[in-house]
Amino acid sequence: MPFNRTETLASLCIALGLMLPIQATATPSPSSHSASATNEPVFKLTCNPTPESPTSTIQQALDYLNSTPLPDTSAWWPNIRSNLFLENLKANLLTPYRLYQGTNTNFCGYAALTWLPLHDDPLTYVRFLMTLYTDGNATWGPIHFNPSPEIYNAAGTLRFKGILDIRPADQLWFLVLADHFKSYLNLFFRHFHPGSEDTFWAAVNYGKFNRIIRDMLGYHVEATGSDLLRPHIPDLFTRLNECLQTGLTYLYVNNTYLHKKDHNKFKGRFPTHFIILDQIRHIPDQPDKVDIIYWDYGGRTLRQVSLRFLKKITFGITVCTKLKSTL
Amino acid sequence: MLSTSRYVFFMCAALLTSCTSLNITNYYHKHNFTLDGMARVYQKAWHNRHFSIEFTDRSFDQVSLEFDTDTLSYIYEFTVGEPRMQDSILKYGYDTAAINNLIFNMKSMECTWINDLDYYTDTTRHSLVYISLWPKTFNLPFVNKKYYILTYFSQPQYFDADGNLMTGRRLRRIRKINGETFKKINDKVCYTITEQFR
Repeated sequence: MPFNRTETLASLCIALGLMLPIQATATPSPSSHSASATNEPVFKLTCNPTPESPTSTIQQALDYLNSTPLPDTSAWWPNIRSNLFLENLKANLLTPYRLYQGTNTNFCGYAALTWLPLHDDPLTYVRFLMTLYTDGNATWGPIHFNPSPEIYNAAGTLRFKGILDIRPADQLWFLVLADHFKSYLNLFFRHFHPGSEDTFWAAVNYGKFNRIIRDMLGYHVEATGSDLLRPHIPDLFTRLNECLQTGLTYLYVNNTYLHKKDHNKFKGRFPTHFIILDQIRHIPDQPDKVDIIYWDYGGRTLRQVSLRFLKKITFGITVCTKLKSTL
Repeated sequence: MLSTSRYVFFMCAALLTSCTSLNITNYYHKHNFTLDGMARVYQKAWHNRHFSIEFTDRSFDQVSLEFDTDTLSYIYEFTVGEPRMQDSILKYGYDTAAINNLIFNMKSMECTWINDLDYYTDTTRHSLVYISLWPKTFNLPFVNKKYYILTYFSQPQYFDADGNLMTGRRLRRIRKINGETFKKINDKVCYTITEQFR
């Protein structure tokens, strides 16, 4: 892809601007959603932003799946078999916390934000994916998704990614989101090539993450942090507990410390991973240590960490709440 | 004089570098009794209740245990031998003898991580035991750490003429595990050298 000097400079300026610390509150324009719900998901976080009134229920989504005919093969998605596609969607509805981003991929941001529609509006989620499967394009809220030709061929072919290998609907979902939403991280990785799921092409920076939740999923977002500098929060424990009381809380963390993969002394000092914080509590007799329970990689984890460590790895805190007009 | 000192420096550097290379196949054959035993004990214990063990420091004194339940994975770090480690193993209903045996052997083999990983052939799920070794010969300052990985499959695998692990009988595609390609040690055991232990 050819670049001229002005475009490159402009991109760099935008990138630097986006990396600066932010404390932002953003609310999307209200959208109309039908509200009715009684069914409880199999498993819920304690900080579910919509404990009482999800926009749609799992049963509604399952009924929709059972009543909507699907061709055995799709002209748009040659590598996706409809039976596996449907199985995948049903598994996501029944065990949403098992959603797995795939081994060594950079889809963690997309996997983390999928928590919201899977728990709050599963009907829109399955309707969107079924429409994508049958028509090759679909609309979610104000955003129309028209995937690139290479995405049609790639969905269903990702291999050696653990259970994502046999989850074609998840592959499609992650690939379509990564293909549509771009940021400065994708500056030199704009188009998908085989293996791009492990590169910056699939990466999500903090600004993009918040933008998708706000603009596509329609949540009110309160974000503190950045891609480069940690936010200054004197009492992180109290702040995180306040966030958990307010809504679904995402942490943007440096995963090279949280999920260590090597013993190198020199590690990158920037965030690389999104997790959903479920609980944080003091450990009796250890005032500087806390138990944190968080969701990532298709499951919940409890870890004991020091507050200093938590402060060191946290680069962003995003709290999502439902718009009052949709409640 | 300068050229002589340079010569000595480069010779020393070459000698140091050569010391770091370790033949993993020889290493495996030398220690296969212990290594195979570790894999066997782990697999049996893992089938009862899922868990993984990680050593977090170079002296192999700090151990991190991950107990996986249906709803939550618990990760705790202990100093090897401290009483609360035994209490925790018992509390979560794990086989203390098996875990203590594994910790002892991991320390003696300089094994930094043992876990069970899933892999898929078509739509069928399989699992393997993944053992990461961190021998001291790789511990050079200012150099990224290297790990030997051993994978134990429950069934014989397919390999091409160069000994690369393949996805199936037709030998069309090299199989990757955890993003790495693997080589044959025997029909069920493979190895790779990598910069990440998991």
